[in-house]
Amino acid sequence: MSVTPFATTIDTLQPVELADGVEIHLRVAGPAVRSVAWLVDLLIFAGILLLWGVVVAFIASAVGEGIGSGLFLLGLFLVAWFYNVVFEMTARAATPGQRVMKIKVVSVSGAPLRLPQSLIRNLLRVIDFMPAAYLFGLICCLFTSRFQRLGDLVADTVVIYDDSKPVEPSAIQVNAEPHPPPQVLNRAEQAAILQFLERAPHWSDARKMELSDLLEPLTDRKGLGGLTRVCSMGLWLQKGGKK
Amino acid sequence: MSPNHFESENKERWERLQQMLDKVEEKGAKENAGVEELPTLFRQVCHDLSLAQHRMYGTRLTDKLNALAISGYRVLERRISGGWERLADMVIREFPRAVQQERGLFWFCMAMFWLPFLFLAIWTPYDPEWAMAILGPEGMINMEMMYGTGTSPMDYMREEFGSNFGMFGFYIWNNVSIDLRTFAGGLFGGVGSIIIMLFNGAHIGAATGYVHHACNPETFYSFTSGHSAPELMGVVVSGMAGMRLGLSIVKPGPYDRKTALVLGGRKAFVLIMGAVMMTSFAAVIEGFWSANPMPPVIKYSFGAVMWAGTLAYLFLCGRRRDEA
Repeated sequence: MSVTPFATTIDTLQPVELADGVEIHLRVAGPAVRSVAWLVDLLIFAGILLLWGVVVAFIASAVGEGIGSGLFLLGLFLVAWFYNVVFEMTARAATPGQRVMKIKVVSVSGAPLRLPQSLIRNLLRVIDFMPAAYLFGLICCLFTSRFQRLGDLVADTVVIYDDSKPVEPSAIQVNAEPHPPPQVLNRAEQAAILQFLERAPHWSDARKMELSDLLEPLTDRKGLGGLTRVCSMGLWLQKGGKK
Repeated sequence: MSPNHFESENKERWERLQQMLDKVEEKGAKENAGVEELPTLFRQVCHDLSLAQHRMYGTRLTDKLNALAISGYRVLERRISGGWERLADMVIREFPRAVQQERGLFWFCMAMFWLPFLFLAIWTPYDPEWAMAILGPEGMINMEMMYGTGTSPMDYMREEFGSNFGMFGFYIWNNVSIDLRTFAGGLFGGVGSIIIMLFNGAHIGAATGYVHHACNPETFYSFTSGHSAPELMGVVVSGMAGMRLGLSIVKPGPYDRKTALVLGGRKAFVLIMGAVMMTSFAAVIEGFWSANPMPPVIKYSFGAVMWAGTLAYLFLCGRRRDEA
């Protein structure tokens, strides 16, 4: 299984070639969304410790202070080092904070996370945190194509968006007749026009025309006329070259 | 073939795969009619995805197939971990073997820990100033309270069982965390691990030397002899784990640094897990055995057995027949 080098794209899609010969795309999550997830986890972490402190205080009042402090330190040890590991090994492969942000941890190959990987990436968290507030982790994230912090690099993992079931966009009606382009377009050009047609409904009319105006050499006109022309070409391409 | 035609022709197959995946993910592999069809369906979807990508059927279709392929891959790639058998194999064979394979690193880490230890332990009785600086006033008071000249090894060092458990919790939290930090510090090209090992060796050496200078050595040794072997060797092994990680950055060998780091991380993982195991074991002894009021002879013999056992475990366990 090989991971193809990062193409010069402007989105965060990470191509991975599976053993079955097909290329899948993982959408890697950046430092911003991961920081928010971490803040949520920090709150939960503090909550767990607080709750554990109360429980231990009850136990200690019954059986003695020594056992109480021992229990609390054991709990502190487990939660401080293994909070993330426990949640990453569940079927969702995400901590509560990551679930809120709809992200999760997987192997770079797209395969599910394994226990050693999860342990490695979380034991090395202390280095990513240094000198304060995940500075090393952030710097490392910004210099790797897959937004990996140091722990991710060693464990060979990535944090991706968990969009296992993409929302199907509603069907869009375009008021244009399919029309072949005036000259033969290569694959990249065809792809650009097709993507324009798919994404156009999300943009304002001014933005659509701004983009379609770039194609003036192909459409021979600016403004609304050019936009319609580009859409007709897109429709023609979408229908596989038929009117 | 138009995208719509392609979709309507294959839609039924995709939906069947999706349903099957949902079922397996929810209920596990137990309740599954026709699950043997899954690999075939998955491979067909992979084929459909490549076709859709190549024919530029648009992001709506490729996104959908992409997601389907990812969840299919995840289900098919899901591995069942070895469980207890795997754990036992790691304890009995894999970990000691990993230590034996890193002979050079082992002796390097031994030196990094034991040299400052021996130096301060031997030097302090002649010139206690360095040890005093390392321990600090609070450390010295603690040492004198626990092992001072007025104490004897037969004193009850802890009053009740509860404080035993309390100390056990503290040792786990403190000592195992130091091991884990030693491992993580290796990421700075090994420098972090070396510093922690040197400091650890110096601190423990200073304490030992200070006991000879100002306290009752018999109390000290009868307390520490039992757990010293797994605890101190645990420090050395966690240093090895950190150094393995650091060396894969400094000296990646035939690989590029990123690959070397992943491979080194896998080796280091076995070492650090072993170190954690040894240190936790030491915490059990330190918490429940070391403070018992028994004659020093018994404590010393137990300590000797522990040292022999620990070294035998590290050097003899997991050896292959042809090497022995």
